[in-house]
Amino acid sequence: MDNPQLRRAALFGGISLLTLLIFVLIGQKQALVIGVITGAAYGLLGLGLVLIYKSSGVFNFAQGEFGTVAVYSLYLLHVNGVPYVFAVLGALVVAVLFGLLVERIIVRPLFDAPRVTLLVATAGVSLLAVGVEIWFGEARLRNVDPALPRTDRVSLLGVRISDQRLLLIFVLLVLAAVLAYFFNRTTLGLAILGASQEPTATELVGISVRRLSSFTWGLAALLGGLAGVIGVPAAGNTFGPGIVTSGLLIPAFTAAVLGGFASLPGAFLGGAIVGVSQALATSSDAFDFIPGQAGTVIAFVLLVGVLSIRPNGLLGGKA
Amino acid sequence: MTGVVAQTEADLLEAAKAEAHKDEGFSPSPGGWVGRGALYAFAAVVVLVVPAMREAFEVNIYTQAVVFAIIGLSLNVLLGYVGQISLGHQAFVGIGAFTSAYMVSVQGQSFFVAVAVAMVVGALQALVLGAVSLRIKGLYFALITLSYGLVAEQSIFQIQSLTGGGAGQAAPKPSAFSTDLRYYYLCLAFLGAVIWVDHRMMRTKGGRALLALRENPRVASTFGVNVKVFTLFAFTVSGVFAGLGGALLAHNDTFVVADIYNFRLALVFVIMTVVGGLRSRTGVIVGSAFFALLGFFIEKFHIIEVALSKLPKPLTPQIAPLVVGPLLLLLTLTLYPGGIGQQVRPLLRWLGGHRFDIHDRGEKEVQISDVRA
Repeated sequence: MDNPQLRRAALFGGISLLTLLIFVLIGQKQALVIGVITGAAYGLLGLGLVLIYKSSGVFNFAQGEFGTVAVYSLYLLHVNGVPYVFAVLGALVVAVLFGLLVERIIVRPLFDAPRVTLLVATAGVSLLAVGVEIWFGEARLRNVDPALPRTDRVSLLGVRISDQRLLLIFVLLVLAAVLAYFFNRTTLGLAILGASQEPTATELVGISVRRLSSFTWGLAALLGGLAGVIGVPAAGNTFGPGIVTSGLLIPAFTAAVLGGFASLPGAFLGGAIVGVSQALATSSDAFDFIPGQAGTVIAFVLLVGVLSIRPNGLLGGKA
Repeated sequence: MTGVVAQTEADLLEAAKAEAHKDEGFSPSPGGWVGRGALYAFAAVVVLVVPAMREAFEVNIYTQAVVFAIIGLSLNVLLGYVGQISLGHQAFVGIGAFTSAYMVSVQGQSFFVAVAVAMVVGALQALVLGAVSLRIKGLYFALITLSYGLVAEQSIFQIQSLTGGGAGQAAPKPSAFSTDLRYYYLCLAFLGAVIWVDHRMMRTKGGRALLALRENPRVASTFGVNVKVFTLFAFTVSGVFAGLGGALLAHNDTFVVADIYNFRLALVFVIMTVVGGLRSRTGVIVGSAFFALLGFFIEKFHIIEVALSKLPKPLTPQIAPLVVGPLLLLLTLTLYPGGIGQQVRPLLRWLGGHRFDIHDRGEKEVQISDVRA
């Protein structure tokens, strides 16, 4: 067991097995299924967070708004008669444009600024987007249709899973795999990692750090947009201003931290853990002693616990 | 050879001294002093006398501006001195508010005891969360406080005995300061105390250690500065100020409801501090007061309200701050990183008995923080 990756895999496997065992023992199989599904949405948003963290070293608080903007675009396009598929594509284009715009007018001027400045700036972008949504869209809820409306096709351990949620999990798994390959095997992916660690050296070997930055933020916005257009209709059909930020962003951050913030598959695993813990907190009466929403408290405890015991995350090696 | 070197060094030193003390020996003329005195008097009238002539409900809003200034200074300790950010300050402030209200209404303690307890509770929260976030390099305090803010909103504020349920917890004003005006002066006094503590803190060993840490943690620790201890010290001070701010807010409204202590408020706190200008006490106070009064001013000055309603999509006084605030934040960060503090610096220097130099931007470009996380 000298190989650290092997050891990590063993640790991860052990934890998963243990968790599974506990759930089955206390008869919360349903919580497991519901949790993994909810966690998929966290994981999808978490992928974008990890991507930006890997390349810019900053927690991107605007990630949720990439999703919300996409949902609003989807709604507007679809309501005005654009077929659903094209509306989704249009929404993703809008999200990417938004991401590129943020990169150009906010991130790039702050390229040499301290990271905490950039962090505050992303929070500002998020807040401005929510403000504009409230301004133009009013603080009311609207309905958005899922891509796949059928809900009675698949059932697992007595829990019905809508097609939209299956789509969400499928998209998440594919994206996590593709991105992991991208960062470990392709030149462009390695260039992004290089640029985050040694921007000057990256420039010296002839790679444009600025273009990489545009690319990364565009890609992150695309991931955020996907989380919005697939995740929001999967969770429920209604949405309002700041829906993705208020509903998914904090669990997604927790998921990314659990996964170690440097690991893309980690975001998926972290999402599942957060989702399952929250589902368990609502369904089991073992957590009744916690006032209010136990799920939130559990997510916080997980975050603090992981940072205290394994600061680099469950899957993370050295940061 | 050594003589030459020494001479050069002496020359350099002299040049540096001359640069540093270029308006040494400058002293304002009597007229200059009168002008400065007039401005001081004007500021004193605005802060001390004008509220006495306004109606009670308006004084209540001014008090809120004063308390926001305390909260802004609390965040300034984190953002400006340590280079960490709290996105859960509404939790520190809100828990301070409920603690104080609970101590007075349920436990029957006096106001000042309750405020002290709120400060201790604030300190403990910041200390514990700060200790966890220091386990790992990076801006994890932001994430932890963000998550903690949500816990406060959805769990801690649901504790019936602490918050009095949905109806809220009563928080009467102390009997000696029962009118809005007297309470306003009390809060001003507290703000004065906070400014003094902040000023003293930055002048003592702890403050210098914090400045060194912000400049370069590695060099600072090489010189024997205990990074963790001083960072935790700053977190604690920030928590104390936040708890105090919460307690004062509670008794200003005489009633605490959980609804207002939401995530949006945490972001307002961040915006007002950054727009005010980190590390500039005056800037932070002006910025905080500005955002506390923004909605009120839009309603009070009818012209602004009319202008906003003429926009293609009307902007009501309720949502205008939600759009204007973030816009100001982004403009500050990208174009004027020093915020209001940088803008008013020439004026402050002038008030301090120096020449008025409109191009004075401080010793160097002011930055949010020099910490590279």
